Amino acid sequence: MIIDTLTSPVILFFVLGFIAALVKSDLTIPEAFAKAMSIYLMAAIGLKGGVSVASSGITPELIAAALAGLVLSFLLPVLAFALLRQFGGLSKIDAGAVAAHYGSVSVVTFVTATEILTGRGLEPAGYMVAVLALMETPAIITGLLLAKRGERPEMKNAGTPWHEVLTNASVILLVGSFAIGVIAGADGFAPVKPLFETGFRGVLCLFLLDMGLIAARRLIQSRKVTWRLIILAIAIPMFNGVIGTVTGTFIGLDVASAAALGILAASASYIAVPAAMRLALPEADPGIYLSMSLGITFPFNIIFGISIFTALAQMIG
Amino acid sequence: MIQTVMRKRIEILVDSPLAPRIIAQIKAVDISGWSLIHVDSGGGRAGEWQHDDVTGASAKTIILVIASEAKTQALIELLAPLLDSYRLLLTIGEVQVIRGERF
Repeated sequence: MIIDTLTSPVILFFVLGFIAALVKSDLTIPEAFAKAMSIYLMAAIGLKGGVSVASSGITPELIAAALAGLVLSFLLPVLAFALLRQFGGLSKIDAGAVAAHYGSVSVVTFVTATEILTGRGLEPAGYMVAVLALMETPAIITGLLLAKRGERPEMKNAGTPWHEVLTNASVILLVGSFAIGVIAGADGFAPVKPLFETGFRGVLCLFLLDMGLIAARRLIQSRKVTWRLIILAIAIPMFNGVIGTVTGTFIGLDVASAAALGILAASASYIAVPAAMRLALPEADPGIYLSMSLGITFPFNIIFGISIFTALAQMIG
Repeated sequence: MIQTVMRKRIEILVDSPLAPRIIAQIKAVDISGWSLIHVDSGGGRAGEWQHDDVTGASAKTIILVIASEAKTQALIELLAPLLDSYRLLLTIGEVQVIRGERF
C-alpha cells in the first residue's frame, strides 16, 4: 500500500513540489490559479459528498461518524497540549495554539486520501465530507480553553473570533457545496458532473505540486522548531490517527470510512486554525504552529500517514 | 505655487488576519483614511515568510496612513501595548501633502 501510494501521480507531484522548494527552484504556481484550484477542489468534494448522502439518506453510520468526529475534535487537543507542554517545553499559550491545530483537520489531506483510497477501490462514504466540516472548529474552542486555563472566566471568552471561526472560507464552501449536493441529488448534479469529476485528479496533482512548494518553503524558513517539536509533529498525528481509525472501526464504519476518520484525526489544520489563533491568541508564535502543521505533519500524512491508517483500518476492520 | 503642509506617514506591517483590528484602532482615533498594501515576502528575527493565497497563514499586509501630529500620537498610544503581542512593525515619517485639511 505504501509503495502504491508513493507511486501515485498525486503524491509524486507533491514530492516534486517539495523537492523543488528544497533545491531552491524558482518554480511557482500563480497565486490566483492556486486559489482557484482550492475552491474547485473544495466545491467538488462537497458536492460529491452531498450527492452521495442524497442517495443514501441519513443513516446510523452517518450520525455515529458525525458524533465521533465532533468528540475527537474536541478531545484530541487535550493530549497534544499535555505533550507539547511536558515534552515540547512550550508555554501554555503556544501549546494551546499548537494543540488546536492538531484537533482540527486538513482539507487537502482528506481530499488526497479520498482520491488514493478511491483509486484502490476503497471509497469512503460521502458523509465523511460532513464529518470533515464538523471537525474544523471544535478544536479551536478546546485550544483556546487550554491556553487560557486559569484566567478569569470573562477573559476566557475574550478575543474568541467566533465570526471568523464559523464563517471561514473552507467551512462555508464545504458546507455550502455539500448542502447543494444534497438538495440537487444525482439528477441535479449530472449536468455539472463533467466539470467537477473529469478534471478532479489532474487539478489535485497541480494543487499538491503547489502545496509541496508551500510546505517545504515553510520548513526551510522556520527557525523556531526544535527536535522535540519535530518528534511531536510526527508522534501526535500518529497517535491521533490510531485513535481515529480505531474509533471509526469501533462505531461500525466501513474500512474506507474508518481510514478516512483516522486520517482526519491525524491531519492538522493550516488554513482555518492559524488565522483564528492569530486573532484569538496573538501572543502565540505562528512560526511554531505553522512550521509543525504545514511543514512537518502535512507532508508526513500525505506521504506516509494515509497508507499507515488505511493499513490499520484494513487490519482491524 | 501650490501650498503643502507637513503630516505624518504611518506604516504598520501586520499579519493579515490582524489587520481589521488595527484598522479599528485607526478609526478609534478619528483617522478616516487608510490603505492596505499587499506584501509578497520578507524576513525578520523570526525567520523568513512568503505570501500564499492558499493557506494565507503567513500573509502580511502594510497599512498606510497619513495623519496629523495629534492623531498620530493618539494612534501610537493605542498601538504601543500591541507591538509585541501582535508583532507589529510600526514606522512613522514626515511627508509633505497637498490639501492638508483632509488629514
